[in-house]
Amino acid sequence: MDKQLERILRQVQKPGRYVGGEWNAVRKDWHDAAIRMAFAFPDVYEVGMSHLGLQILYGIVNGRDDALLERVFAPWPDMEKQMRQAGLPLFSLESRRPVRDFDIVGFTLQYELTYTNILNMLDLAGIPLRAAERAGGGYPLVVAGGPCAFNPEPLADFIDAFVIGEGEEVLHELLDAYLAMRRRGAERREMLLHLAGIEGIYVPVFYRVEYNGKGMVQSVVPVEEGVPRQVRKRTVADLDGAFFPTRPLVPVINPVHDRAMLEVQRGCTRGCRFCQAGMIYRPVREKEPNTLLRQAGEILRSTGWNELSLSSLSTTDYSQVRPLIQELTAQYSPLGINVSLPSLRVDAFSVGLAREVQKVRRSSLTFAPEAGTQRLRDVINKGVTESDLLEAVAAAFAGGWQAVKLYFMIGLPTETDDDLAGIADLARRVLDVGRSQFGAGRRLKVTVSASSFVPKPHTPFQWEPQDTLDELRRKQAYLRRRLRGRGLVFNWHDPESSFLEAVLSRGDRRLAAAIESAWRRGCRFDGWSELFAPAKWREAFAACGIDPGAYAYRRYAYEDTLPWDHISAGVSKEYLVREHRRAMRGQTTPDCREGRCPGCGLCTMLEVKPRLVGGGKIAPVQDML
Amino acid sequence: MPRYRICYSKTGPARYISHLDLVRELERAMRRAGLPVAFSGGFNPHPRFSFAAPLPVGVEGLAEFVDVEMTHPVTPRELAGRLNEALPPGLAVREVVEVPAGTPALAAVLDRAVYHVEVDGDALPGMLPAGAVERFLAQEKIEVTRRGKRRDIRPGLLDLSVMSRDGGLALRLELKTGGAINVRPEEAAEAFFRSAGLAVDAADMRITRAELHWGGPPRP
Repeated sequence: MDKQLERILRQVQKPGRYVGGEWNAVRKDWHDAAIRMAFAFPDVYEVGMSHLGLQILYGIVNGRDDALLERVFAPWPDMEKQMRQAGLPLFSLESRRPVRDFDIVGFTLQYELTYTNILNMLDLAGIPLRAAERAGGGYPLVVAGGPCAFNPEPLADFIDAFVIGEGEEVLHELLDAYLAMRRRGAERREMLLHLAGIEGIYVPVFYRVEYNGKGMVQSVVPVEEGVPRQVRKRTVADLDGAFFPTRPLVPVINPVHDRAMLEVQRGCTRGCRFCQAGMIYRPVREKEPNTLLRQAGEILRSTGWNELSLSSLSTTDYSQVRPLIQELTAQYSPLGINVSLPSLRVDAFSVGLAREVQKVRRSSLTFAPEAGTQRLRDVINKGVTESDLLEAVAAAFAGGWQAVKLYFMIGLPTETDDDLAGIADLARRVLDVGRSQFGAGRRLKVTVSASSFVPKPHTPFQWEPQDTLDELRRKQAYLRRRLRGRGLVFNWHDPESSFLEAVLSRGDRRLAAAIESAWRRGCRFDGWSELFAPAKWREAFAACGIDPGAYAYRRYAYEDTLPWDHISAGVSKEYLVREHRRAMRGQTTPDCREGRCPGCGLCTMLEVKPRLVGGGKIAPVQDML
Repeated sequence: MPRYRICYSKTGPARYISHLDLVRELERAMRRAGLPVAFSGGFNPHPRFSFAAPLPVGVEGLAEFVDVEMTHPVTPRELAGRLNEALPPGLAVREVVEVPAGTPALAAVLDRAVYHVEVDGDALPGMLPAGAVERFLAQEKIEVTRRGKRRDIRPGLLDLSVMSRDGGLALRLELKTGGAINVRPEEAAEAFFRSAGLAVDAADMRITRAELHWGGPPRP
């Protein structure tokens, strides 16, 4: 190992973040690869290594004979300081090459509060921050994808091309196109124009944004021939046959999730109105149980992990979940391998599943009723009733769990103090269920966590304002007062980071200046409470003449152009409007798994079909336009 | 249950694996190798590993030891071969022996360790003065500060010698380890450089644990 790096690594915490060498890591010959891509995760190693998308793309690109993919993560501030002092540029873990030497640098956008890390990584790599400054000089192509790419505008000045939607297929097309254009000796602009013609790729430089007198986006229009007016997301039609990483990297230093991940399905059609994932990953596509059993065996053999997590947005909704779990536990329990469910639906069925899988380890069970009253749960279309919850916790207590965690959101549209009081009442009723079951002697714990609602693009609540910081703090104080007492724990965090999340998630291109200014003032790792510096962000907004409240607190009208209207998640705007109206009337909308098509418009638009295994019923598509 | 003593090295990228992470990695490697590791009972079973001494993060180990219990016998040769194929770069099995039941745990009998401390020429502010080693060892007390507390490491310093002066300086330190007296290699090396009047930055010391010693057999 290079002596300079060795010396640096002696002076940082967790040097294992920067050395690679994990089991299943792929080392390819640099000179044999026609195209070299760096996968840049704008957060720390332990977070990035828990991300399934990284493992998928790592396997896909390294599976090609002509390409290599190496990883790079955001250096923690102690490492950044050492690198800057030594003049060591950002490097990849596998070959320790400067990121600047790669052909393509791909960032994944998992949450908005990583944006300053993206700028920091580009800067540490010696790559100019803005796409316009990279026109000459042979810099890598900087691309980005992931859920936040569904509103790419705040990062539009920094990124050459965004990938909208699922990456499995379009990444191949991107690499092929890059190779073909390079062989032809294409200039950067020509290359980008070609990429902009690929379905699912958005190249912001080819769009002109106009603003109206009210300071809002008026229009976003293409400025070149062949560039689509609206970029549609990519969706993998055959998820069952799609590549899945059965030889994933096994991190040596303890990651956030230290277990094998098996994706059982993609997409969720419950239609919770605040949930962006539920909209952008549609339609629901289940994998065949036999595929899953085969992949489970391969993953466990190739990694040695002692836990297999069945991951998806709502694993208990997978139609064959019970037989799948029974088969997996029958096979792997004797080997000391646990099966785990990342989240539980709020009902007794889910608790029954949790009982089956958690034979060995006992921790707390977590449920997410999201809102404290039936009225508000109907508004957000969270199809959960109080009796669902009480039955679920009764089953949990009967199953031996003595701790239950309840997740709620505060600041939801139409929320009043009655809904907050409902949270406290519900928590007490849950505690009562436990006491009646165990008697007063047992140590029961009900933990209530309240996060702050953030309106997200492409959801029925995209038009809604966020509550002000003062109002959110008042609501937290209200809950704090009502959630005192034996057996109750209340968790909350400062809403300032939720405010910034709202600003960035609903922002437009004018925010680029503020993001850069915040980064120059030292903002890094904004999602980490110990490093988040809201005062610096306020200074940055002020210095750029931007009122962040205008982004977080604005109520859009249905007819307003939204900054992300030129990106299509497949669901129609008419559906979102209809869902928003139903929300305001407190009307729920059933899941399309249950036999009634709510007309989200996705199946007709993308020519993909929802797919349930074992003959599950899917509603015939309704054209409600 | 059959018990095996594994001698292994931890070098290169693996030197940055912390002790807790090493325990987890070894468990996974045993599974990948399909070796029948025995687990403790209870709600949260642990593999029956017993390490001689944790290695500090960043320090290479050339001959580290761990005892492992298996649910049924494997030949030492097979254990070594299969485990080696399942270990990540930098971790390697050197030798395996079976140890009889009732052998005391390594950590209980561990007595001393030999470390090598290397400093490159460009990180050395000057030549090592003649007689520096003798003068250092002649001291009755060598005080260092650990977590704000002064302590005397002289009783735990068994030997110090210069191994090489080519392109820098390489020291050999023999230190008490395990048990009541435990001297850290970097604090002994720092104390030495201080007494020799050489300002050497701890970041410039490349430390390797070359040997571990305990009283009595068996050892591979």
